[in-house]
Amino acid sequence: MLLIKCPHCGERAETEFSYGGEAGIQRPANPDALNDAEWADYLFNRKNPRGMHAELWNHAQGCRRWFRVERDTVSYLISDSREL
Amino acid sequence: MSEALITAKVLHDCGHINLRGRRNDAAFVAAVESVCATSLPQALTTAASGDLRIYWLGPDEWSLVTTAEKTAALLAALNGATAGMHVAVNDLSAAFVTLALGGSKVRELLAKGCTIDLHPAAFASGACAHTGLAKAGVLLALQHVEFRLIVRRSFADYLLQWLHRSGAEYGIEFV
Amino acid sequence: MTAVNSRRVSFAGRIDRSQPLTFRFNGKSYRGFAGDTLASALLANDVALVSRSFKLHRPRGIVGAGAEEPNAIVQVGSGARTIPNLRATQVELYDGLEARSSRGWPGLRFDIGAITDRFSRVFAAGFYYKTFMRPKALWKYSEYFIRAAAGFGVAPTDADPDHYAHRNAHCDVLVAGGGPAGLMAALVAAKSGARVILADEQNEFGGSLLFATDLIDGRPATDWVAATVAELQALDNVTLLPRSTVFGYYDHNFLAIAERCSDHLGAAASGVRQRLWRVRAKQVVLAQGAFERPLVFCNNDRPGVMTASAVSTYINRYAVCPGGRAVVFTNNDSAYQAALDLHGAGATVVIIDSRRHGAGALGSLASETGIPVLQGHIVCDVAGREHVTGVSVAQWDGDPSESVSPSINIECDLLAMSGGWSPAVHLHSQAGGKNVWNEELLCFVPGVAVQQCVVAGAGNGRFSLHDALQDGIDAVGAALAKIGFKAADLTPPSSDGSAGRPTQALWRVPAALDPDRCPKQFVDFQNDTSVADIRLAVREGYCNVEHVKRYTALGFGTDQGKLGNINGMAVLAECLGETIPAVGTTTFRPAFTPVTFGLGAGENTGLLLDPLRTTAIHECHQDAGAPMEVVGQWHRPWYFPHAGEDLHAAVNRECLAVRTAVGIMDASTLGKIDARGPDVVTFLERIYTHNIGKMAIGRCAYGIMLREDGMLMDDGVMARIGEQQFYLTTTTGGAANVLGWLEKWHQTEWPELEVYLTSLTEQFSTIAVAGPKSRDVLKNAGCNIELDQDSFPFMSVREAELGGIPVQLFRVSFSGELAFEVNVASRQAATMWRQLAAAGKEFGITPYGTETMHVLRAEKGFVIVGQDTDGSVTPVDLRMNWLLSKDKDFLGKRSLARPDCVRDDRKQLVGLLSEDNRTVIPEGTQLVTDPAAPTPVPMCGHVTSSYYSASLRHPIAMALVSGGHARKDEIIFASLADGSAVPVRIVAPVFYDPKGERQHV
Repeated sequence: MLLIKCPHCGERAETEFSYGGEAGIQRPANPDALNDAEWADYLFNRKNPRGMHAELWNHAQGCRRWFRVERDTVSYLISDSREL
Repeated sequence: MSEALITAKVLHDCGHINLRGRRNDAAFVAAVESVCATSLPQALTTAASGDLRIYWLGPDEWSLVTTAEKTAALLAALNGATAGMHVAVNDLSAAFVTLALGGSKVRELLAKGCTIDLHPAAFASGACAHTGLAKAGVLLALQHVEFRLIVRRSFADYLLQWLHRSGAEYGIEFV
Repeated sequence: MTAVNSRRVSFAGRIDRSQPLTFRFNGKSYRGFAGDTLASALLANDVALVSRSFKLHRPRGIVGAGAEEPNAIVQVGSGARTIPNLRATQVELYDGLEARSSRGWPGLRFDIGAITDRFSRVFAAGFYYKTFMRPKALWKYSEYFIRAAAGFGVAPTDADPDHYAHRNAHCDVLVAGGGPAGLMAALVAAKSGARVILADEQNEFGGSLLFATDLIDGRPATDWVAATVAELQALDNVTLLPRSTVFGYYDHNFLAIAERCSDHLGAAASGVRQRLWRVRAKQVVLAQGAFERPLVFCNNDRPGVMTASAVSTYINRYAVCPGGRAVVFTNNDSAYQAALDLHGAGATVVIIDSRRHGAGALGSLASETGIPVLQGHIVCDVAGREHVTGVSVAQWDGDPSESVSPSINIECDLLAMSGGWSPAVHLHSQAGGKNVWNEELLCFVPGVAVQQCVVAGAGNGRFSLHDALQDGIDAVGAALAKIGFKAADLTPPSSDGSAGRPTQALWRVPAALDPDRCPKQFVDFQNDTSVADIRLAVREGYCNVEHVKRYTALGFGTDQGKLGNINGMAVLAECLGETIPAVGTTTFRPAFTPVTFGLGAGENTGLLLDPLRTTAIHECHQDAGAPMEVVGQWHRPWYFPHAGEDLHAAVNRECLAVRTAVGIMDASTLGKIDARGPDVVTFLERIYTHNIGKMAIGRCAYGIMLREDGMLMDDGVMARIGEQQFYLTTTTGGAANVLGWLEKWHQTEWPELEVYLTSLTEQFSTIAVAGPKSRDVLKNAGCNIELDQDSFPFMSVREAELGGIPVQLFRVSFSGELAFEVNVASRQAATMWRQLAAAGKEFGITPYGTETMHVLRAEKGFVIVGQDTDGSVTPVDLRMNWLLSKDKDFLGKRSLARPDCVRDDRKQLVGLLSEDNRTVIPEGTQLVTDPAAPTPVPMCGHVTSSYYSASLRHPIAMALVSGGHARKDEIIFASLADGSAVPVRIVAPVFYDPKGERQHV
């Protein structure tokens, strides 16, 4: 069970959090301007790296804030956690 | 067990107000602090002033708990003082059940269902945390030797049963 | 029957002779003492045969003295409290203990399975796969016999009545293992001011010191143990956990400990039986010690063959000498201690040392004591079937590939063996750490730690007592430094530091015949894996260690290869012509030793399995005798039966009451959200599909939200309370999700929008009053506002009072009738419910439950998210195009134009009418166009909702049908479970009052 540092509440057990997937995915400003392939890329395609991964977590059972975590998907080492 | 090492009490005389606002908005902070006669608490702590306790819930959210009788006046005062500001003041008095827990084994009992560190060095008087207890979300706070447990009302029966069963090994008395 | 405790010797040991105990094993009564384990008590009573082996059903005896025991697997207790799969070596004896062999069905001495041993060449590795898996049809017949014969014990069939508990804990340093290194590490950490947990699986701390003859500071080692434990006990920053196995090492230094609180008390037990400690440790010191390896020679599994350290343990700790005429067979120095212990206990001993140069200091001691030592010799075979009667010994010059000629036969009743030592690297490996082969020590030692842990003592390859103590200090010092503690300055007490002569590599002991023809040389006792099995696996093409494991079962089972793994790897390496490190080890996984289901469940059983959430009106429903339906975690009244009514009768009555008079329902579980702020309109416009800005204050609207992929996510009525304030409702199941969804978009994508979202779900309870007489009921209940159509039109909201209680009144309808929803503070909800019931009495007000609510909404064709939709349904599929604004963007809008979302053959919502006008098609039924088509019959959709409509007097159904919108009036078929096909007609999904006139009155 991971120990995740909420930028507001400090380190808490993974069970207090929900996972929000890859961080930094910006919603296109004008979706209608995108063709089907570009829209599908925004919707479905994610990096899924072996190694460092920027991801969103929500402290669902605590302060309810979303924040950004840098986590190694191999070692699970969390090297950074910060407010959005 | 001959002697109960834990006591639990449901506090019926509580009013709850949920407050949202910007911590970095000086006018907002001043307005709230003048109404409450105490400063807004820092992260993971409680501020107290008379019957009023202010629990930190998040960077822009607080829970104000006072007696049922004083709730309407506090609500009105907060609404008045923050008029025109971007805030949310909601009466949630009926949304929560408040429990007071005490006794020599209360930390052990809570540690059975709570994953945060409740060692006196890590969770001292004045501390508060929104966290999980067994399978319910709770606001947990400590004032001197008394723990307060604030839980959504629909989870209260579940949590009381959990306390009853989990506290049995220490002896728990509901007063 | 043998004499009582015939094997007991006169040493004090650590048993309490003043407390004799009686116990039963396999139905027979025996006696032992407090402080015994079941294993030591059985050995004291000269019980050698304790089980039959897994595959070949060979007689087996006790081999070890702790967690590594592969054979003495027992079931303890009976009835609901029984625990299977315990190692007799770890079961503390208590008065009245009842145990039986987990294996050996139907009886140990007459064993029908033993016939398999006679055909053991047939039962080689992979036999079961090869024989029984093909033809597949045969397996279901053979499986029963195989499973029964190979069973590992029996699960209780009744609920366990005992109390199991969980406990979360935090510490600076968790020390796993309370032997010399662990005690030393815990003492340093404790004196440094750190919060320490010390856990050890045994009933008392001390580990190897409990059976060692070593001196510490010139006194018996157990004196130092007692003093150290007393010192730790006196410190309030230390938690001591005896009888506690650290069985799992998970991510981010999260460890699980199984504490057996009262298992050892038998009938005297009270309180918590077992406790699961869930520990988050800043640093972990792994001091789990090492396991002694068996030697791999012919018939090395005969009862009476034990590891040398187990023999020492039984003699010194339990005052039991397992034999009178012993042979000690070793490739290293440590087993000489067993020989000395045996000699001291009055047994005759011969040492067979494979090394031509023999042992160091202990060897000299043995010679001085007069123990004969045969150096450069090996035990190549064992005589005796149900017990060792003798050994064949041959001279050996150290070449592992040659065959040998036995030249000496020695009669004996005990063979103590030592093949060297393997550090217990299990937790280090579970934590993700690799292990490194040490050619000098001939074992894997822990490599670089991946998590915040250090390894100390024998588990780190520091086998001498002095080295282990020093390593405990060094390891914990490094750990403390990492978390900012200055380690207390302690030096180890004085003790023996001699290493002895090196261990000789002897992985497979040469025999008179080659390895494929000689009697079985067992590598893994629990799984009956022999050298020949591994060689066969290699011949059949398995060369990866993980494949060989699965093909031969090496390292499976409750002992997880604690004894056999390294020998197995070495034999495999020899076959492959590789080195041991090149072959590598298999993966270690939790649990280190088996744990009970009760431990995992803890107190979360029965009513506490999942929270049952109740509304503020719950008590009224219970008083009314309503059966409950669990919706999510909520307990909701399902229907309100009158005397003699079943579900259908009650629902028919409730439905008609709402359509003709008035009904009342608890709708409190709906999610409720207060949304406010200067940008609330902008925010909600992006979330909901309809035009928010156009909503007038005091008006309500039905709104839906889509996921970004265009699929319907949730729906509900919303109301505009003020210029910058909205009240949103969600489905019961979606309440938490929707709030989280709104927060996610607000916080991650549009933080510039000034909006606050607050859940009101628990603050307000909602009572629906529905039916043509609902207005009259509210009037009668003392409503202080005008309720007529002009003052309070359909789809609007008003602040009001009902009988003096402030309420928020919504004129909305989920039944299609004139209806109101009353929002009231939850503390007054039960009172309000009773007031409305009283006010409606003269109009025949009828409480109704979730079932009637479902029928009423289905008659109107209103969907339930999650029932008529499943995450793959767009609003277009539901014909909700009218809700999709063309004037703005909203989440999911672009996706509705994706090619997949505009396919003509998408499953679309339709109504269905049974052609026979009476069959209620079961929900979930598959629909087919042509039931006579060759199988597999292509399916064209499925039924999502289906009820009997009392108002219409015929069944109605909703379904998702491929291209359904264009198939009106087509007859298709519902394919029922009994094989029949019922013709159904596709119709519009609005069955009742299609023009919607009844709610506008």
